[in-house]
Amino acid sequence: MPIHNLGYRRWTGKLESSLNRWMVVAGIGCRRAWQSAWLRRVIFFAWVPAAGMGFLIFLFERSAEDGVGSSAFFRSLSRVMLAQGNDLDAISELVSAAGVASSPESLAESRHQFWTTLLLSLFQRSQAFIMIPIIGLIAPPLISQDVRSRAFLLYFSRPLTQFQYLLGKLATILVFTSMVTLLPGLLLYVIGVLLSPGIGIVAHTWDIPLRVIGASAIITIPSAILALMFSSLTQESRFASFAWFAVWIFGYATHAAMLPFADAGSSVLIQSCSLFHLFRDLAGWILDVRTGVTDIETRFAVLFAMVGISLAILIRRISAPMKV
Amino acid sequence: MSALIELHELTKDYSGFRALHDVTLCVNEGITGLLGPNGAGKSTLIKVLLGLVRVTSGTGHVLGIPLGQRAAEVRSQIGYMPEDDCYMHGLSGIESMQVAAQLSRMPSTEALRRSHEILDFCGMGQERYRNVETYSTGMRQKLRFAMAIVHDPRLLILDEPTSGLDPQERDAMLNRIRILHRQFDKSIILCTHILPDVQMVCDTVTILAAGRVRLSDNLEKLCSVRDPSVTLQITGDTSLFVQQLSDQQVRAEVVSPRVIRVFGEAAELNGTLWSLAAESGVMIRGIQPSRNSLEQIFLEAVREVQLAHS
Repeated sequence: MPIHNLGYRRWTGKLESSLNRWMVVAGIGCRRAWQSAWLRRVIFFAWVPAAGMGFLIFLFERSAEDGVGSSAFFRSLSRVMLAQGNDLDAISELVSAAGVASSPESLAESRHQFWTTLLLSLFQRSQAFIMIPIIGLIAPPLISQDVRSRAFLLYFSRPLTQFQYLLGKLATILVFTSMVTLLPGLLLYVIGVLLSPGIGIVAHTWDIPLRVIGASAIITIPSAILALMFSSLTQESRFASFAWFAVWIFGYATHAAMLPFADAGSSVLIQSCSLFHLFRDLAGWILDVRTGVTDIETRFAVLFAMVGISLAILIRRISAPMKV
Repeated sequence: MSALIELHELTKDYSGFRALHDVTLCVNEGITGLLGPNGAGKSTLIKVLLGLVRVTSGTGHVLGIPLGQRAAEVRSQIGYMPEDDCYMHGLSGIESMQVAAQLSRMPSTEALRRSHEILDFCGMGQERYRNVETYSTGMRQKLRFAMAIVHDPRLLILDEPTSGLDPQERDAMLNRIRILHRQFDKSIILCTHILPDVQMVCDTVTILAAGRVRLSDNLEKLCSVRDPSVTLQITGDTSLFVQQLSDQQVRAEVVSPRVIRVFGEAAELNGTLWSLAAESGVMIRGIQPSRNSLEQIFLEAVREVQLAHS
C-alpha cells in the first residue's frame, strides 16, 4: 500500500450550488476542444479580418478629420481588404460622406452607419469562413462521443438535469463561436470609440454593442443547436460533421440554383433554405443596416422552426438511453 | 434498522411492455443483493430509484424522499456504478473522477484532492493519468467504482461490480465493499449474477423475475433449511455407525463410504454423534450443518416464472 494511501475517509465539505453544474459539462467540452491544434489555428486566423476592420475604422476617423483626401487611398485599400460585395460600395460611400460631412450630426449618422455596416461585413465573414469550420470542429463529437461511450449514465446518475447537460454542451460551442463573432464585434466598437474624437460618441452609438450581441446570438445559438442535433443523431462524429457541412453547402447551392426562377412569394423561402443568407439577412436587420431585406417575420419563423425541431430531437435523443 | 427504500405496488410500463409489476419492496440499511435473470427489471428498478424514469403507478420513498420528487437531492446521496462499459471520452482517469465529483457538487479543488484519495483507496496508481480509453476492462471497472464513491454517498448502487475482474481484484473489490459497509455505515445494493459474491458480502437478498419481486429476505434465514441435517465425514465402520444411530432413533443415510447425512438439528445431535462415534470406533473428521445454496434458492425463485413463460 502506498504511504500516501489514507484509505477511505468521510467527506464533510460544503457542497456547491446545483444550478451551475452545466459549467462542469462546458468545462469538459472546452478542455477537449482546445486540444485540437486546428481549432487553435482557425481561431487565431479568425481575428485577422477583425484587425483589418479595426484599421478601416482608423481610416474612417482620419477621413473625418482630414476631409476627403484619404478616401481615394481608402477605396484602393478596402478593395484589397474586403472581398467583392455590396458592403464595399456602402463602406466607401460612408467614408466619403465622413470626409465631406458638413455638420457633427451628419458625421455622427455616417459613423453609426459605417460601424454597423462594417460589423455586418465582419459577421458575414465570420459566419461564412470561420464560424462554420469552428463549429464543425467542436460540435460533432460533443454528444456523439457520449452516445458511443455511453456516458449518459455517468452524467445523469448525478445531480445533473438534461437541460443542464444541454446547456453545458451549448456553452462549449458558444465559448468558441463568441471568440470569433461577439468578441471581435465588441472589440471593434471599443476601438472605434477610442479612435473617435471624444467619449461623447458613446451617446450616439450606445445601441451598437447591444446590436452586436443580438446579431452574434442570432447567428451562433441556432447554429450551435443545429450542430448539436446532428451530433446527437449518431455515434460517429464524422457523420455529424458531414451533415453539418452539407447543410451549409447544399443550402447555398440550392439558393444559388433556385433564385433565378423564384417569384416574389417564393423568394423568401428560397433565401431561407440557405443558412448563410438567412443569418445574413437577420444579422443585417438586427444591426439596422439598410440591406433591403423584407418579410423579416418569415425569416424569423423559419429560424424558430429550425431551432424548435432541433431542440425537440435533441431532448428526445438525450433522454432515449434512460428509457431503455 | 431503518428503511432506506420503500416501494409500494410499483409498476413501470414501456410502450406495451411491463418492466416492473406491482413491486413492493423494503430495503433496509446494510448490504442488499439484488438478483434476477436478464430482463428481470433490475436496471429499470435502479433507474426508478435514481429518478431517471417515472413510474406508471405506485408510490415509495428513497432515502426518505418521495419517489419522483427532488431527484437531484436523491442522486447527490446515491453513488451509482453502472454495469455498462461507460466512460467520459477523451479524459484521463483522474479527470473523469474530478468531473464526477464536481457534478456531485464538490468544489473543483476539493474534487481533485478527493479524487486522488479515492483512487488510492481503489488501488489505482499512475495509470490514473492515462486516457480512460486505454484502460483494461478491470481498470475501467475500478474507475467506475471510484466515481461512484467519490462524493461519499449514503447509499451505493453497484451494478455488477466484480464482472471482468481477475480473482485477486475481485477479492479486493469485495473487501472494499465490506469496508465501506462495516467501517463507514454505507448501505449498498449489489446487483450481480455472481452468487458467491452475494453470499460473501450481503445481509439481505431480493430476487426479481419478470418484473416481480419473487423473494426478499435475510440471507441467513433463506439459507437455513426446512429439513435440517448435518453432513459427517468419517473414517471407520460406516454401517455400524449408521446402525447405532438408527437404534437411537436418529435417521441417517449413507451418501458415500466416507460421508453420511444425519437428519436433525446440529446442536441437538452434537453430543449423541460424538458418543456413538466413540462407541463404534468411528472417527469424525468433519461435521457440516447443511444449508440451502443461494443458487438453489435463486433457481427455485425464477423457476415459476420460466415455467409460466414456457
